[in-house]
Amino acid sequence: MNRLILKYAYPLTAVILAVFGWVVYQRISRGSDMAPLAVAAIIVWVIGVPTFIYLWPRLTVNGFKRAILRHGLGGGPIPVNTLYAAPNTSSPSAPPGSLLATGTDDLLYIAGWLDLREGPQVLHVPEMGKRYFSVQFTDPSDSANFAYVGTRATGTKAGDYVLGGPGRKGEMPAGMALIPSPSDSALVIGRVFVEDENDLPAAYRLAQQIQLTPLASRVP
Amino acid sequence: MGGFLSWAAQSGVVQGVIIGATLAFLSAILIMNSVARSATITVNGWSSIRACGQPENGVLLRAACAKALPAVNVFEEAAYWTAAKDGSGQKLNGTNHYVLNFPPGHFPPNNAFWSLTVTDVVGYMVNSPINRNSFDDRSDLAKNPDGSVDIYLQHTAPAGHEQNWLPTPSGSFKLMLRAYLPGAAVLDGTYRVPPVVRAS
Repeated sequence: MNRLILKYAYPLTAVILAVFGWVVYQRISRGSDMAPLAVAAIIVWVIGVPTFIYLWPRLTVNGFKRAILRHGLGGGPIPVNTLYAAPNTSSPSAPPGSLLATGTDDLLYIAGWLDLREGPQVLHVPEMGKRYFSVQFTDPSDSANFAYVGTRATGTKAGDYVLGGPGRKGEMPAGMALIPSPSDSALVIGRVFVEDENDLPAAYRLAQQIQLTPLASRVP
Repeated sequence: MGGFLSWAAQSGVVQGVIIGATLAFLSAILIMNSVARSATITVNGWSSIRACGQPENGVLLRAACAKALPAVNVFEEAAYWTAAKDGSGQKLNGTNHYVLNFPPGHFPPNNAFWSLTVTDVVGYMVNSPINRNSFDDRSDLAKNPDGSVDIYLQHTAPAGHEQNWLPTPSGSFKLMLRAYLPGAAVLDGTYRVPPVVRAS
């Protein structure tokens, strides 16, 4: 669907504008008062432009949310606070509109939707050795990547990171760092490097070990 | 109430709201596209936006980034260059033959990997006759005598250069070059991706 809208954006827009032109022409030719239409259109336009721009990042991230929670990455819907690792790299046979369809075949992609309303979640990453990986956290309110865990940001050692919602404070369990999330939900995209086809099983095993668990289940 | 509803239906207010909302949507798209364009750096036909994904971005840039590169990595995590045009500004099309020449040591500097992927105009991977959608730093690419590497971008196999052939669709296409953990020369802008040159 998205693909069709993107592909035919210009003709679709032309059709919509032509319909509007026709509606306006009909009213003018009937001699109707054009003021209510014009005033309504201008007011809605003036309010609408900044509103759409302001909401666009949220709409985009919510598109990912829907894609993750309803369709997943090929393995069915991904429940909240669960990370799903795609067993294969991107390929032309990936379902259109999925993360994988625009990805690269050097990476295994991981996706999930973080919901912190019930309490913090703990992200576990295994020892990655020299392997490149990253876990990106994107704030749905502004589409900013507010945190990374991975080779660049935190190194390739095994670790546990507590993701807490707004206002989350308090003691962290020993050895765990707090990653404060600006919203009580976040888009999570993980990437694990795959050297070549022979390396795929090893990369996949590691990707599957990048997981979320509730903090509550860790604290006695 | 009934009077108001029939006035609303007759007066054109409803049409006005619909027209206003749709035009607002289209205007917002135009604004976001133009902000994205102004944030885009294009060198040799390769475009990149470096500012996306950063928490300090303003409302306009955030929206433009969400539109152009939704949920994209920050630039220091991964640099992306896209090319929809060749080095002379002509749209890439599979009816032509192109060569992308990387001088010795001029693949994108990185601390993870680089890769070059052929996509359709929207950005989706395309079917390849030889099951090859990309080249990367592990690819076995033949070198020229001077140590540079020619990548052949065309729909049909280039005779004698199959090893360096990246098949393109028969029609319009785009190229996506990635450098994960880009090196200092990428981050400071001194690294320039060489142009895609149309072979005569």
